Amino acid sequence: MTREQITSAILEIFRREFEMENPGLDDNLRETGEFDSVDAIELLLEIERFLKTELTHEEKQMAMEIRTIRQIIDYVELLAKKRNENGNKQDR
Amino acid sequence: MTGRRVVITAGSAITPIGHTRGEIVDSLRRGVSGVKPLKEDHLLSKFIHSKVFGTVDYPVEFDFKRVHRKTMGPVAYYACQVAKETLEQSGLPHEFITSGRLGVAFGSTHGSPSVQRDIYKTFFTGAQTEFSTIGAVDYLKSMVHTTAVNITKMFGITGRVISSSTACTTSSQSIGYGYESVKYGMQDAMLCGGADEYDTTTVAVFDNLLACSTAFNDRPQCTPRPFDRLRDGLVVGEGAGAVLLEEYEHARQRGADILGEVIGFACNNNGGDLILPNMNGISETLRLGLKDAALNPDQVDFVSAHATGTKMGDVIEAQAIYAVYGAHPLVTGLKGYMGHTMGSCGAIETILTLYMMREGFIAPTLNLDEPDERCAMIRHTPALETRQIAIAGIQNFAFGGVNTSLLIRRFV
Repeated sequence: MTREQITSAILEIFRREFEMENPGLDDNLRETGEFDSVDAIELLLEIERFLKTELTHEEKQMAMEIRTIRQIIDYVELLAKKRNENGNKQDR
Repeated sequence: MTGRRVVITAGSAITPIGHTRGEIVDSLRRGVSGVKPLKEDHLLSKFIHSKVFGTVDYPVEFDFKRVHRKTMGPVAYYACQVAKETLEQSGLPHEFITSGRLGVAFGSTHGSPSVQRDIYKTFFTGAQTEFSTIGAVDYLKSMVHTTAVNITKMFGITGRVISSSTACTTSSQSIGYGYESVKYGMQDAMLCGGADEYDTTTVAVFDNLLACSTAFNDRPQCTPRPFDRLRDGLVVGEGAGAVLLEEYEHARQRGADILGEVIGFACNNNGGDLILPNMNGISETLRLGLKDAALNPDQVDFVSAHATGTKMGDVIEAQAIYAVYGAHPLVTGLKGYMGHTMGSCGAIETILTLYMMREGFIAPTLNLDEPDERCAMIRHTPALETRQIAIAGIQNFAFGGVNTSLLIRRFV
């Protein structure tokens, strides 16, 4: 899975689920007022659906520091790479 | 106990007989019923014997931003819409609304049953296979206090929150407890009310208790029939109602339009059977309401009865009204027009009473063609009456033996 594919998927999630069109990749999502803690949990669910995997509790906790879309893309890229290396051991 | 005067400076309702004041007044004047065939829900409706429901069958324009919508199930949509209209109508400035001087007393019977069903489907049907976790917003949409806190969130209200959930007395308690909050100085204003969405679970509960109307499935507009000889049970309905209660001096100084004054409230419990109404409990709450309002019974000239159309409930209520008020006040069972709107009925019936107060008429009980002889001793409103209500008693009683009585005075 390429970074471009991940970027495209994340932006589509933001458009479809959070009604945010063309958000800045480096905008602080909390400061825009359009994205809050509830949305952060919903985003994790969308990431699980996208990667077709379940996130560990530690991976979810890591995500709580994320504030920008660029950081989300980095996070998903890391997860995808980890899953690939582990042969998708955590997949159900 | 003495306290500050509490007036009503705005109100709005979504009901089976209309949304705007004009629509609702027109329905009352023309004797229009909002009871329609029970909608198919592909789950319980085919098992339910009662095939009628008090239905909001017109579109309601909800213009809510996603940031608000995301934590709202259908019941919260109703609640936030009437809250929005009420606050707009009141003319209260944003600074006051967010100051902490305004609180919210708002509730519903269940929260959102439709969202709760979706949550349970996840567990029982394996619909989400690997991802069978409750979504973050699912609880917020479905929880019992979802109406109150979606209102506080939408408008930035930081005062106290009371979220009663006592079924049929939910919104009368909201108004009553809101009244006390303002009267005794804890808040300067309270946004009060209740809402309930279309839900067949509630219908099924009453249906299983043999309390629902089933004899008029082919003629929905003919039921419920409060106090009528041919009544055969209640009709569940949906809706929402909100009123803004405000300390009188604050309202007067800002030139607010005052719709009425809350002058008394009482709530008690029968202390026994959770289903059957209790003559002593009901009578006592009516007396306590009069005492709180410092009124003699003959000063109340109109009673909005709870009157759901059940065989025993209407008889016991008629006896209690007669025991406390005698045959003096005109009595109307407003549920004849729209069924039992559950958690919203107290607020809706208060608003309809305020509309009648302002317009100078009293609507009769719809479908009351011939009173049951055991209910005939009270003074049923015989027809559409041109009459000025001076003081109204609005009473509601709920499963669990909860009884409420509100006293409202026309403001002059």
